[in-house]
Amino acid sequence: MFPDESGNESAPHSGQNIGTGESTPLLNYLLVIVAKLRFRTYFNIGICTLVVRLVWDWRLARIYDSQEQVFDEVVWDGHRTTAAIIVRLHEIQTGRMTAEARILAERFPEHDLSEPINFSNWPELNIEEKKALEKATICIAEKSIIRASSEPDNRLDHMIRAVDDLRMTHNSLESHVVEWISLILPWVDIDYKRSEIMHSFSKSSDLKELAKMLGVESSDVSLNQQEWIAMRSLAKNVVAQELAVDDLEKSIREIANTHLPSLSLLLGPLLAAKLCSAAHGIGRLARLPAGTIQVLGAEKAFFMHLRQGTDPPKHGYIFQHPWISKSSKRSRGPIARMLASKAAIACRCDYFGGKPWTTKEIAEIEKKVGEIRSRR
Amino acid sequence: MTTFSERVKVQGRSLWSRNADKGVSLRGERLRREGKNEWRQWNPRTSKLASGLLKAEKSGLLPNSGTTCLYLGAGHGTTISHLHDHLCGPENKFNGQIIAVDLSTKCIRSLVLLSKSRPGILPILSDCRDLISISPFLPKRVPWIFQDVSQKGQVHIFIKTCKKYLEDGGTGLLSLKSASERNTKQAFEEARKALVNEGFTIVEQIDLTGWEDKHVLFHVVL
Repeated sequence: MFPDESGNESAPHSGQNIGTGESTPLLNYLLVIVAKLRFRTYFNIGICTLVVRLVWDWRLARIYDSQEQVFDEVVWDGHRTTAAIIVRLHEIQTGRMTAEARILAERFPEHDLSEPINFSNWPELNIEEKKALEKATICIAEKSIIRASSEPDNRLDHMIRAVDDLRMTHNSLESHVVEWISLILPWVDIDYKRSEIMHSFSKSSDLKELAKMLGVESSDVSLNQQEWIAMRSLAKNVVAQELAVDDLEKSIREIANTHLPSLSLLLGPLLAAKLCSAAHGIGRLARLPAGTIQVLGAEKAFFMHLRQGTDPPKHGYIFQHPWISKSSKRSRGPIARMLASKAAIACRCDYFGGKPWTTKEIAEIEKKVGEIRSRR
Repeated sequence: MTTFSERVKVQGRSLWSRNADKGVSLRGERLRREGKNEWRQWNPRTSKLASGLLKAEKSGLLPNSGTTCLYLGAGHGTTISHLHDHLCGPENKFNGQIIAVDLSTKCIRSLVLLSKSRPGILPILSDCRDLISISPFLPKRVPWIFQDVSQKGQVHIFIKTCKKYLEDGGTGLLSLKSASERNTKQAFEEARKALVNEGFTIVEQIDLTGWEDKHVLFHVVL
């Protein structure tokens, strides 16, 4: 497309030329004409050598000559709304040209690209521009926070850590309550009836009722009413925690099944999510070698191995998979190795948009696990 | 009593900045009234710039009011808020700008909240190794850069940033944490050499021991 046909007419803002120190305005005008006709923009005409450099930021674009003099300039004359500024800032951030820069690039096809920061006579931001930029920047920051939080990785990470903490507190609180009951009702079999104790306790209104529900004799320990109330509210809390753990796990399963379909199918959604969070996100997990996936979660043993030369760990979180934890000790290592490499493949399928695995692939892997087991 | 500027001074043993957001104590700092002005205590334990100011023997650590500054590793904005007191003033009456870059979404969240009550702060969620992502917000070189990004290769990041964004004669401050480098013992010496090799003039090497252990604040001029 020749600029003299349509390029210049369609440009919303014609360039203004600014006289350089050495050349006359007339000569300068001629230079612009020549450049516009798409002749070479590098050429000698006695006085100055014309090497043009194209420079732009969100407000304007300029062409500089070799003496760092402004040669041509197009200023953004559109309505400076925050949304428009954001679009422009984003264009610059990704290395693309603004509309003004494109106009100048067409006008001077043989330009060098340069950055505004290298020119001392690049205009400063005035107060309105500063305010507009500030508003746009805050908008971009808010958007980027939302973008980061909408990634399932971050949410999964929080839920995994929450469920771990919750389970830990649940275990210790539960043991407090059970020990307390075993003090006042020594006849309760706290190993055998452990799961019942909490529910019965949270529902019963006094010691006698509790003893009856658990099917043992009541004792005549003199209990303070306040103590009973306190321990029962603790028991209620423990029951509520159990429900919360269930809810959290349910939602982790849901997210993992959509976010990591193949890996969830292979390892189960909870373990898949745990690996994902241990690797700081699916993007990194997909790039990890299988050997690392195999020992994720066994960092302590692994670094002990590196530092002190102890045996390397055979498995990290992946041990939770029944194929490993339910195998004989001798075959766990090879199975962990094989499973980790399959997990690496599955995760890459999920992340790079491959075809999700089906039960067919899983069945093949299970067959392989059987082979390893029978070999050892 | 030492005065660093109209809005930052040392009184007694502590550092104070004149609060630009009157009545608000950001992290529970002490506020003190003096006539019409309100001063906010600047804790050197939570801010390396503050400890640098208290320990420095040479002046010129703070930028001039009303200029544009680049701050890498903005964190939750404790130092930024005091810098804002100095640079921008209430409702940004000096028209200063602080370009605050951090990698963590949590930090940017608190900076966005801060920027609502203190105009002049520009929070950017970006990796400071990726200079192109900052470039649209900085059309001109700046006279003052502060970097506090305790991570490997801090010196290299600082050199690259200053070469690109610091104007001639501008001040660069690098807070170096030796524990982030592989060679912990020689970290300061190596950083010094690297800075000199790249053409920086080291004005002062401020040891922050006492406030922030194993940290040194390099005050350089390009």
